[in-house]
Amino acid sequence: MSGENQGGAIVPYSEEAKKPVVYPLRHGLKPPISRLGISWSRGNSLRVTVFRQPSEDSENEVGGKAVEVRLDGRDGEISDAQWRRIAYGSVSPFALLQSRKNSFASLSKISSTTSPFDAEWWEYVLEYSKDISSLLGNQTSTTQSLIEDPKEVLKKDPEPSNLKAAWELMESFYADKLSQAWLPERLVDWLADYDSLFSSTQETVHSKLVDFQKDLVSLQVIEDEPKYWEVMSSALAVGWLDIVVKLLRLHGSYQLDQLGNRETENGLVEAVAVLISKMPRMRPELEAGKLGECFKAKPDFMKAWEKWRAQIAKLECSTFWIQCAHRQTQEGLRNMLQIMLGNTNNLCTLTCHWMELYIAHFLYIRPFTVGLESMYGLAQKCIQLKPMAASHRLMGLLIGILGENIEVVLAECSKGFGPWMVTHAIEVLTAGSHQADTLLHEERDNLGGISMEELHRLVYAQVLSSHPLTWQIAPIYLTSCIKQGMGLLEMLLYKQPVDHNQLLLKNLEICRLYELDSVSSNIMKIAGMYNWKHGKKGSGVYWLQQARDEARLNRIAQQMFDSVGRSISDENFRQWEGLIQLLGSEPKTAGGLEFLHNYRDFKKSLLQIRDGKTTDAARQAVESLISLMKNPCTPQRFWLPLLHDSLKLLNWEERPLLNVLQTNLLLNKLQELSIARLRPDFIEADLPPHALSSVRLALATNLGRTTLEEQ
Amino acid sequence: MAITGVRTPPQVHRFPQSKYIDAVRWLPPLSPLSKLAVLAIYDTDADSPSLETHSISLPASLTPHSQWTPPTRISSLSTSHQSLVAASTLSGSLHVLSSAMQVLLSVDENSGFHVGPISGVDLTGSECVSVGEDGRVNLVSVIGGGEFKRVYDGNGLVGFNCVKWASPTEFVTGGFGYGLQWWDLRRAGSGGPVLQFKGNFGSQGKASGMIHSVDIHPSRKHTCLAGGSSGTVFAWDLRWQQQSIVLSGVGTGEAVTHSLSESEVWEVQYDCHTKSSNISSSRVLPAMFCSEDGILAVVEQGEEPFELLAEPCAINSFDIDPQNPSDVICSLEWESIAIVSRP
Repeated sequence: MSGENQGGAIVPYSEEAKKPVVYPLRHGLKPPISRLGISWSRGNSLRVTVFRQPSEDSENEVGGKAVEVRLDGRDGEISDAQWRRIAYGSVSPFALLQSRKNSFASLSKISSTTSPFDAEWWEYVLEYSKDISSLLGNQTSTTQSLIEDPKEVLKKDPEPSNLKAAWELMESFYADKLSQAWLPERLVDWLADYDSLFSSTQETVHSKLVDFQKDLVSLQVIEDEPKYWEVMSSALAVGWLDIVVKLLRLHGSYQLDQLGNRETENGLVEAVAVLISKMPRMRPELEAGKLGECFKAKPDFMKAWEKWRAQIAKLECSTFWIQCAHRQTQEGLRNMLQIMLGNTNNLCTLTCHWMELYIAHFLYIRPFTVGLESMYGLAQKCIQLKPMAASHRLMGLLIGILGENIEVVLAECSKGFGPWMVTHAIEVLTAGSHQADTLLHEERDNLGGISMEELHRLVYAQVLSSHPLTWQIAPIYLTSCIKQGMGLLEMLLYKQPVDHNQLLLKNLEICRLYELDSVSSNIMKIAGMYNWKHGKKGSGVYWLQQARDEARLNRIAQQMFDSVGRSISDENFRQWEGLIQLLGSEPKTAGGLEFLHNYRDFKKSLLQIRDGKTTDAARQAVESLISLMKNPCTPQRFWLPLLHDSLKLLNWEERPLLNVLQTNLLLNKLQELSIARLRPDFIEADLPPHALSSVRLALATNLGRTTLEEQ
Repeated sequence: MAITGVRTPPQVHRFPQSKYIDAVRWLPPLSPLSKLAVLAIYDTDADSPSLETHSISLPASLTPHSQWTPPTRISSLSTSHQSLVAASTLSGSLHVLSSAMQVLLSVDENSGFHVGPISGVDLTGSECVSVGEDGRVNLVSVIGGGEFKRVYDGNGLVGFNCVKWASPTEFVTGGFGYGLQWWDLRRAGSGGPVLQFKGNFGSQGKASGMIHSVDIHPSRKHTCLAGGSSGTVFAWDLRWQQQSIVLSGVGTGEAVTHSLSESEVWEVQYDCHTKSSNISSSRVLPAMFCSEDGILAVVEQGEEPFELLAEPCAINSFDIDPQNPSDVICSLEWESIAIVSRP
């Protein structure tokens, strides 16, 4: 990485970023503005808070306003929504490749013979690369109309994107091992698909064709038009043979009424068309509709190539040219023959930029070029001959690839196409060479001990984390980072809002998937407190229970006893029913709230007594009373109200319900209470003044009765 | 889990939306050639919600039809046979619209209707019931002109996530602690639910869970179908109130071996397309559910579950077309709609 000349920047940034960009603020406040506050908001947005100078005359005016400013760092070619779609789509291929990599790694540990660079492995990488590529836009498969327009020479393709073009370059050079033998031809195909991308900054063969296509409809005698010949020659130079042949067949000599007197001329046109369509190509196959003859083996190709060149040379020296009356046709066709014979001057004038010239060289001058070194040398030569009008990110990438400089390739990917590209391209790069593999996986001190691969994944994960819809896929990338991934994942999970259950549950689900139990329970505690504070007591208790947070549940219990203690009437108590139901009978998860559960049972029995006066219900009530009074969870300030509520039980007419032991327990509690009342922090229950004495009297009476009975 | 062999896989059509889909529901079609669905959409970039109807003609097109902008994001959506749409919002307002997205009725959040988001709404005939985490249960009559009737106020001590009518006077709600509540408006004087159920499926260190969705079959109103946390789908039969029949779930120990999902079950519905082999009244009818881990599946008591979709992202909501139950529409987490056509 070019760390030196970027002042030690870890992630390379472009020079253009230094130009100031103006973002207008629409705050709608009347001046004077006294203060501005600027902070980061979510993602690529800044939150700007604008405060007015407070003034007396405008009391109804708004004192300030907060606005969000979106900083547009993305390239305009791909919208945010499309980026998200790409991000979603690349999750599965990426995850699949990682899991395959892991299983490969564990395999190679067992048997040292298998290395991840086996034949099998790059097939997986190619599959991955194809999956990713399919996300970036449709392959050039346009819906073909049934009736073909003979004058439509250039098919209207869906707008190709720079991103896809870049990915295809990476795939051809690194992932697809089969294409290594015919890389020049792959570049021919690549330029045919993506030449239009350069049209915005300069003239290209594609833009020439587009212009000519517009004129085509209005032209009467096409072969008189010099542009016709020029465009055809240019297209031939970059190897768009099907277009050239189609254009040639529009030549006037093909028309039936003229065929008679332009027979020789037509013969020459057709001869050139046939020669073009028979051009030998060093490649396994051609797409349907494309012209040329394919050869897989080099000796066969060389033989065919020599033969083809001999045929062209023979036609060039033919005597028929003298008989051709139409000057433009004669010149145009011979020009085209010169191109096929590899006339450097012709090729140079007919192509518009170095890449086109480069392709022309592959096709007509050095068809036997192999190896990146010689390809790089040729590229340098072409750049000198025909430099581009403006630098283009795709060209930077291509030169980096040809120059076999992994660092440059990475930097160009990052600078030109952003973190998504680097993160996903690294998989392809490392499959391509051992050198890249060591370079990217080496732990670096200047990066805080992480590798370049991890660095780029972390950067991409940060981008994902900053958007409310993509943060959920960031964990996939974070967990593939060995050193810092988990730490950042925990931070990401803590950062998510807890105010909506659905989001909260999605967050907890990620915790579950990665077995982050402590994070999960902390998030539940945060959610519990949030809900409690916002008046959703039930859901607050629920989350704290889920988190098994006894400390907070106990404190909440104290608060709840206060409100229960204040309004102990049956009416209000009904409202607690749902919460008590929620608390259930498991004391572990209920904390101090277990008391409420018993209290509810006690109240229920009392209610039954009032309705039906059954001794069974009374007995149950007594049991509840005793268990409440025995339970250390029951707050002291409830003792007297409880006992006061049970006066009826204590004075049960038929027979005493409490035995001596139970009565003594209650008397002891009453005694304890009387002592506690002397303390200054004692809270007096809201009961009639004689409550204590009447309870004491009832207990004493009961003790007397029960002692008599037990004797 | 393996898909059981004999069934032919359904056809799936996907429609990327570039906006988040909060909920989907079918509507009765406008013409015999196309289908109509209502989508609750949220545009995160513009921070703007919308409610849109789309006409769908398979295999390929999803065309926007009419549109309405709610005050805040839609939290729950319900449609009736009369082409009415009830939508509740996160700010606590309720709106009833025609299928042409004309607002017929709105209940303002400032009228003391709910505190905070409304979590569930169900519309049947002319009555709409709404519940929230605030513990309130409210009734709104479509012909009543924006007045509402408070059935219950839990004061935040309880909270409800979902609601479903069982009859014109009875409905069921679901909430925390795998809790289900049965309400009867004829006995509204008692001030609370008539019957309550608390599921006890806790295991694997998880204390409890939530109910996210309930459904009741019109012909068997005594059986409530519920789905919630930890992949749980169960039925609660009012005739045997103390126990439940678990159809799917992890926390059930050895009793149930089939469990397709381990995460939140966001929605459940009875599936009238799947023909049950055993139609006894004690058996639970086949049910469909969708989950956070991307599963859309049919479960049936005592049968192998059948997976319709297994997505890499969450399926947040689905709806079975009442006119043509072989078609299911679902909303996926990654900003898209999927329509599953079963053979």
